[in-house]
Amino acid sequence: MATPMIDPALFDQLKAKIEQDTTIRKELDQILDELNQHVSYTQGVFSRIHSTPRSKYPPFLAQVEEGIKKEIETIGKLSAFASQYPYYKYNYKWTRMVQDAISTVLLCAWLGGMGSDSKPGEVGRLLTIEEVGAIFQVPVNLKDSDGFHVTIEEYLLSLINIIDDLSRLAMNSVTLGDTAMAVQISSFIKDLHAGFQVLNLKNDILRKRVDSIKYAVKKVEDVVYDLSLRNLIPTTAAE
Amino acid sequence: MSGFKRDHQGNAKRHNGPRPSGSAKPAAPVVRNSYTPMFEQLRDELEAHHDRRDRLGKASRDVTALSKKIIFSLQRVRKIDESLPQDIQKEIDSRLTEISKLLATMAPEVQGINRYRYTRSLVCLEELVEALTFAHYLKTQTLISHDDLTSIIEDLARKGVAAPEDAVMADANAVTQTPDEQPRQPVQAEAPTIDITEEDYLYGVFDLTGEMMRFATTTSALTSKMASGETGDDEPRTIVQDMHDLGSFFEMLPQRGGNKMTWEKKLEVTRQSVQKVEKLGYDCVVRGSERPKGWIPDLSSVDQLGSPE
Repeated sequence: MATPMIDPALFDQLKAKIEQDTTIRKELDQILDELNQHVSYTQGVFSRIHSTPRSKYPPFLAQVEEGIKKEIETIGKLSAFASQYPYYKYNYKWTRMVQDAISTVLLCAWLGGMGSDSKPGEVGRLLTIEEVGAIFQVPVNLKDSDGFHVTIEEYLLSLINIIDDLSRLAMNSVTLGDTAMAVQISSFIKDLHAGFQVLNLKNDILRKRVDSIKYAVKKVEDVVYDLSLRNLIPTTAAE
Repeated sequence: MSGFKRDHQGNAKRHNGPRPSGSAKPAAPVVRNSYTPMFEQLRDELEAHHDRRDRLGKASRDVTALSKKIIFSLQRVRKIDESLPQDIQKEIDSRLTEISKLLATMAPEVQGINRYRYTRSLVCLEELVEALTFAHYLKTQTLISHDDLTSIIEDLARKGVAAPEDAVMADANAVTQTPDEQPRQPVQAEAPTIDITEEDYLYGVFDLTGEMMRFATTTSALTSKMASGETGDDEPRTIVQDMHDLGSFFEMLPQRGGNKMTWEKKLEVTRQSVQKVEKLGYDCVVRGSERPKGWIPDLSSVDQLGSPE
């Protein structure tokens, strides 16, 4: 047979495609390294929340927002680069880290940060997915075009992340004498828990994480129970 | 027939008719709060996603099963030849018609951003690639290129749309069309298709080597020579050579990023297949030469031994 089994052009074509793919992955890794650096720094700053009294929140949150600003910059880079390629082809590489970044923003806003001229920050504010997208300057829940965006799953998983942090904060705020905070966290977590019950979940990662919320609920309920037993709940917040 | 339950005194429990489904069922008490509307909206989005994934998964399983049946049919072929035996070709064609209908239903769901979103629900494509590359090999003794295969699968997906819609279109022509429907006809020519990614192609070709090994084994056992193209050359290229080419093809390709485990595993299986065919080639040369040309094992004598008289 004159024709060879494999056309040499076919090999070259596939080889080029694979090499191109490898290059994309390497560049992505670089951007993600940078993002990781900013996210871990911001998370590190956040770890101090558990020993920061509420009166010191403004300077504390300002420092957190510095870190978030860097996250926003890097996510901008990631968005510009990743939007050139099919979103879900590489999404798995950054989804975890983007979730962590979103969590820092959600937590910061809940504690009263991320205020803007139109919407001043206040404790207990939950950012919607659209607001998160606006902060990172990226689209959310894209369906019609293929580009970088924040998915619903990422938003919900980030939300579950901050529930864990807040349940811990509930305890520590009591230690710092801020019982009102503990009560507010408790009602927030219970509301979110009820919210997550509305979702019809499949057997996937989201389901697994949602199942873990009940432990946070129990933790804050125990704290509130301890407080009510000793009449430590501020009367205004109790209602 | 279902039984009935008894209470602790042994009396049959009354059953208030068939259990009300859906609407009549008392809704689980949902505590509404300020976040409920947001979650309800997100629930609808997630459900649309889950439903689509389920639909694709089901269609995908069917395509996989049909592709496997095509491969079984192809394994009944005994030589590499321009045209497959008629009965086998017929079997394959009917399976392909079914596949094309399924692909047509799947295609609109995997456009744009959704192509990679549902990659894991589209494993059937690998199997389909395997079936089509194998058929192509048996006809031409060559490996079909990614581009050619893509256009074959695109044609399949389009044909599936055309089939049921022909009647509809005829009707639509008779009835006056609303202006909205006018642009439908040109759109139909551009019916959505399913992209075959390099991954689908490469993994399908990996599996092709396994099918070629099986084919080489059966043909060499039945004809006691290695399958090869039938040309005027005195030394036609045999399947041993082809397996070597394919093996080197994969060895020389740079390793794909992403799922390294799958690649490694498939490569290892391919290596084994290559060596099995190698061994067959060796056997044919060494022992085959001792047999007179055209000699086939006399199976009838085996039967006679077993039966009395």
